[in-house]
Amino acid sequence: MPLIDLGAAIALGLRYFTILYLTALGGLFSERSGIVNIGLEGLMIVGTIMGAWGTVEYGPVAGLLIGALSGLVFSMVHALATVTFHVDHIVSGVVINLVAVGLARFLSALFFGQATQSDPGIPHLNSIDIPLLDKLPLGLGAAFSNMSPVVPIAFLMAVPTIYVLNRTRFGLRLRAAGENPEAAETLGVRVAPLRYAGVGISGALAGFAGAFLAIEINQLFREGQTQGLGFIALAALILGNWAPIKVMIGSLLFGIAQAIPLRLSDAPVISLLPEEFIRMIPYVVTIIAIAGFVGRVNPPAAAGRAYEGSAA
Amino acid sequence: MATAASGAPKRTRSPRLEFVGGQILAFVGAALFAGLVGGVIIVLYGANPLFVYATVFNYATARPEDIAQVAENATPLIFSGLAVAVAFKAGMFNIGVEGQYIVGMLTAAIAALYLDWLPGVLLIPAVVLAAVLGAVVWAAIPAILKVKTGAHEVVTTIMMNGIAISLVAWAILNPLKSTGEQSVDLRTNLFPGKALMPSIAEPLGLPSSVHLTLLFPISLLACFFVWFFLYRTRLGYEVRAVGSSSGSAEAGGVSIGAAQIKVFLISGALAGFVGLNHLIGDKGYLGNNYEVGLGFAGIAVAFLGRNHPAGIALSALLIGVLIRGEDGIAISTELPTEVLIILQGVLILSVVIAYELVRRAVARRQLKEEAVVEAAAPAES
Repeated sequence: MPLIDLGAAIALGLRYFTILYLTALGGLFSERSGIVNIGLEGLMIVGTIMGAWGTVEYGPVAGLLIGALSGLVFSMVHALATVTFHVDHIVSGVVINLVAVGLARFLSALFFGQATQSDPGIPHLNSIDIPLLDKLPLGLGAAFSNMSPVVPIAFLMAVPTIYVLNRTRFGLRLRAAGENPEAAETLGVRVAPLRYAGVGISGALAGFAGAFLAIEINQLFREGQTQGLGFIALAALILGNWAPIKVMIGSLLFGIAQAIPLRLSDAPVISLLPEEFIRMIPYVVTIIAIAGFVGRVNPPAAAGRAYEGSAA
Repeated sequence: MATAASGAPKRTRSPRLEFVGGQILAFVGAALFAGLVGGVIIVLYGANPLFVYATVFNYATARPEDIAQVAENATPLIFSGLAVAVAFKAGMFNIGVEGQYIVGMLTAAIAALYLDWLPGVLLIPAVVLAAVLGAVVWAAIPAILKVKTGAHEVVTTIMMNGIAISLVAWAILNPLKSTGEQSVDLRTNLFPGKALMPSIAEPLGLPSSVHLTLLFPISLLACFFVWFFLYRTRLGYEVRAVGSSSGSAEAGGVSIGAAQIKVFLISGALAGFVGLNHLIGDKGYLGNNYEVGLGFAGIAVAFLGRNHPAGIALSALLIGVLIRGEDGIAISTELPTEVLIILQGVLILSVVIAYELVRRAVARRQLKEEAVVEAAAPAES
């Protein structure tokens, strides 16, 4: 019995992983370009409402893409404020989060006739079984069957991310903008467009993750459904030291931690712990990591700093 | 400054006055711009923006109780704005006001429930003190970690916010769960009446539905104390020195770590007041549907008010007007009230951008004037 639960818990953990990893990868592009983005939660919220609307109107594939596109468009507010107008990155991120809540309610009233949620059961993608893994014994196969196709896509996203960051001209310049914008500009690299691109990618990925949450997991838009996952994604990004594979491991850990109180509340040991304490794990782990008690955390050197380049 | 050189510049206006004037102009311009953007959204929705804005204004100012409602809305925002601003003056970002006031509400609720043997004159101060202590402890962890390990307070306070929410959720469901008849609400028992903050609405002849309490005048006093602290005390001077240039402050003999820890604790203490009007001015119990987001709103209020206590009070009242206006919009128009939240966001961003543009313009002008002065007196060196 508990092993069957374990399969279900892993399945749910993988769904949370997908949300966290996609969003954290977005944050990675933004912060590696030098723009701190604590507005990930808000960008995700915009993805949930626009994704839900998109899937109702045009089907789930379009819904996911519309969610990503809306996140991208909304993130341009953050880019404009921080890159062009040198507004403090934290202030702008907070405003993004504040406005997203209001915007989502406003749009929900517009699309669905009520501010807090859409009709349940909106269309979603056909689920898939992962060959071989879905035949695992002891109920573990349940973790790999009936899965949203977006879940494996999230894992595979590590490949293009690593390639772009390390092997392309764009990726190298993006990292230069985040580490040493002055030197980059001296070498003829224009910092501002790169930072716009970094923020835009973060908006697209966080919006996509939000749409995935609404379409593929909850099958509705509901106010507050992101439950602070944007901040946990930020935690995974920091714990993963802004590096794609380590961020993947952090997202997996935190994703499973999210699923444990929901699916394994009766398992031995876990049943003794209140679920609220399990929910604290990502935050506590991140504080311990950033305080330097385990390993070292090295954010991009110029992240959070306005760059008053030749354009200013 | 440029005017020090004899006779060169003709203009004698003080640069400081010019700066403040520029800021006010910037605020007005940005507010008009935000109104315009909001107006476009309202028109797209098929309503008349002028009517909507007039409705907001009427609902916030028509009757004395409307103004009192605005003051009630502003009370927590003043405290959270001050909490953010004090830390910011020392070059730190307290995004943890959110978690700090939530923990403060928890400790205040514990005091209200378990110190009920105290007479009211002592119980209310004890509850306030408990809120402050809880919030200060929650602020102390990131403050100490920052100074001792270099952990950035933005990250640690975000994480502390997450922990606070789970901690309070657990406490309401477990040790503090109400013992009365099975109520549907998840909440603590009702606090004793003598633990509640005295209302100033009824003595003023206002209906008791307005939860305007002593906390509003206390919040204005807090503005004064924060101003006095920042601009008239030694620690306040050091704090501002650390915030504007930590290198020169250290060279001047200021211990940066000590100043930062102290000011972060003061910030936490102010955060402790944020949830009190909701807790002991309005509800009289701690439920799982407590008011959230006041800490984040404080960041907006602080930056609207340029991190100055007077500016913070004014911006909190302005946001208070917009919150009150939501009722008006809900009653008198077909428009979703959320349009005002969007308007707030546009307002904050455009004001902050406008301040930045003014700062750049003034800096550029100063640079030019200095260049003129240098050109006029080349032989002196």
